[in-house]
Amino acid sequence: MDGQLLGQLAVNGVMVGFDYALWAVGLTVIFGILQQVNFAHGELYMLAAFLLQWLLNRLGLAYEASFALVLPAMAAVGLLLAKCALLPTLRRPFEAAILATLAVGIILQNAVRLTFGASPLRIPTRYEFQSLEIFGLLFFGQRLVIVGIALTSLLALFGFLRFTPIGTALRAAAQNKDACQMVGIDIRRLTLWTAGLGSVLCGIAGGAVAPLYDLYPSMGTDVVFKSFAVVIIGGMGNLWGAVLAALTLGLAESFAGGLGSAALRDATSFTAMILILLIRPSGIFGRVVRL
Amino acid sequence: MTSRYLVLAAWGVALLVPLVSTSSYVLHVGIMTGIFVILVQSLNLVLGYSGLLSLATPAFFGMGAYCTTLLSLRYGLDNALTFAAAAIAGLSTGVLVGIPSLRLSRHSFVIVTLSFTLLLQLVAYNWVDLTRGAMGIASIPAPRLFGMAWTDKFVWYYVVLVMAALAIGVMQAIVGSRIGRAMIATRDNEPLAVAVGIDTFRIKIFAFAVSGALAGLGGAVYAHYLTFIDPGVFGFSFTETLLIMVILGGSGTLWGPVIGALVFTALPELLRLTPEVRSLAYGVILLAVVLAMPKGVASWVGQRLDRRQP
Repeated sequence: MDGQLLGQLAVNGVMVGFDYALWAVGLTVIFGILQQVNFAHGELYMLAAFLLQWLLNRLGLAYEASFALVLPAMAAVGLLLAKCALLPTLRRPFEAAILATLAVGIILQNAVRLTFGASPLRIPTRYEFQSLEIFGLLFFGQRLVIVGIALTSLLALFGFLRFTPIGTALRAAAQNKDACQMVGIDIRRLTLWTAGLGSVLCGIAGGAVAPLYDLYPSMGTDVVFKSFAVVIIGGMGNLWGAVLAALTLGLAESFAGGLGSAALRDATSFTAMILILLIRPSGIFGRVVRL
Repeated sequence: MTSRYLVLAAWGVALLVPLVSTSSYVLHVGIMTGIFVILVQSLNLVLGYSGLLSLATPAFFGMGAYCTTLLSLRYGLDNALTFAAAAIAGLSTGVLVGIPSLRLSRHSFVIVTLSFTLLLQLVAYNWVDLTRGAMGIASIPAPRLFGMAWTDKFVWYYVVLVMAALAIGVMQAIVGSRIGRAMIATRDNEPLAVAVGIDTFRIKIFAFAVSGALAGLGGAVYAHYLTFIDPGVFGFSFTETLLIMVILGGSGTLWGPVIGALVFTALPELLRLTPEVRSLAYGVILLAVVLAMPKGVASWVGQRLDRRQP
C-alpha cells in the first residue's frame, strides 16, 4: 500500500515536471540564444491561455482547433516582442532588455485585464475528467495530453535546432554573435526567429497546461516564478538542463507535498534555487549554453 | 546656486501647503507623495547610485508594513518601537537578499531579487494564522508618538514631510561621503574600483541595508496611514510604480526621483485613472523611456537644451 502511494507520488511528480518543462523552455530558448532574460515570459503564457479561452468559449471552436490557431497568433506576438523590446536592446547593457520586456509584460497583463475583466475563467477540455489506471496508478487525461505535447514539442525543438539551417544559425548565435556576423549571419533576423520560437513555446505551454488551472490576468506570475527556479537550477540557457531540472523539481515537490505539507511543497522550488545558487552558482549542469 | 534656491523654495511650498489648502484630498496626495519619496530614495540608492537593477524594494517595504502592523496590533507596542522595528526588518531583509544574490551573475541577480519578493508574497498569502492571508489586516491603529495620536491628516502631512526630508538627508549624506563615492565608482567601473582597494561587495551590501531600512520605514508609515494592508504590499505594482518614478525622474540623482514621485503620485489622481489604465500607461511610458531615453528624461531634456545653445 505504501509502495503504491510512493508510486503515485512519483507519477504525479513526473507529470507536474512536464508542466514545468513546458513553462521554462521558452524562457531558456530566448536566454540561451540572445542572452536576454524575457521578463514578459509569464505574460506570454497568460496571453496564450486567454486567446485559447476566447476562441473556445466565444467562437465555439474545438479545443484542438483553438490550440492550433493560438500558435501562429503567438508567433506574431513574439515578433512584436522582438520589434518592441528585444531588437532595440540587443547591443545595450543587459538591464535595458529586462526593463523593456518587463514593460511589455505590464502592458500585456493590464490590456488583458481591461479586455477580459478580473474574474477567473476556465478552459474546458474533454480530457479533464478522464483518467487511466495502470497497475493501480492513476493517470489523469489532461496530464497525459501535457506529457504527449511536451515530448513532441521538445523533440521538434531539438530537431529544428539540430537539423535545419536556421536552427544551426541559432545555435551558432548562442555561442558567438560577433563570429556569426563575420560569416554573414543576420543577427537581427535570428532575433526575430528566437522571439517567435520562444513565444510559440509559451503558446504551447499555455494551450496544454492552462486548462488545469483558473485563468486570471496575473497568472503569469506563478509561471515566471517557477520558470526562473527551473532555469537557474538547470543552468541559465541550458535546454536539457532545464528539462531535467523541471522533472526533478516536479518529483521533489510531489514528495514534499505528499509526505510533508502543502507549505513545504511550495517552498521547495525557492529553497532549491537558493541552495543551488549558494553551492553552484552556474546551475547543476553548468552555465555553458547548450541547445 | 540657483538650484539651491529652487530646493529651498520647494521646501517652502511643501511646508505651506496645509496652511493654504484645507482640503483633505490635497493633504492625502501630499502624504502619499511623501511616502513615495522615501520609497524612491530606497530604490534610487540601489538602482541609481549602485547600478544594481534590484526588484526587491517591495520585499523590504512589505516586511516593514507587516512588522509594524503585527507588533502594534498583537503586542500593543509603542509606535516609536514598531517604526524602528520596521526599519530593522527592512534592513535585515536587505542584507538577507543581498548576500546570496550579489554573488551571482548579473542576470541571476535580477531574477533572484524578484523571486525573493514573490516568495515573501507567497508566504504572506499562505501563513494565514499570522497575516490573515488574502483578507489582509484592517483597522491598523493610528500611531502614537510622544503621547500624541495622529488621527488628523494635518498632523500626518507634517510627520511624513519630516520623514521624507530625513530620507533625502540620509541620501545626501551618503552620496557626499567616502562610501557614496565608492558606491558610484563601483557602479561606473567595478574592476577599477576593486583595483584601487574598494571592497565592492561590502559597498553593495551597505547600499542594500540602507535601502532596506528606508523602504521598511516607508512601509510602516504606509500601513498606519492607510490602516489596511494585504499581501499586495509585496506586489509588482509597487515595483512598477517605483521604477517609473526613479527612471523617469533620473536615477542616480538626488532630486530627480523626488520629482518623479511627486508627478506620478499627483498625475494619476488628477486624471482619475483606474488602476488598470494607470498600469497600462506606466508600461507604455517605461518602454518608451527605456528605448528612447536610456539616461532618463532629465538628461534627455538637458541634452536637447545643450544642443540648442552652440
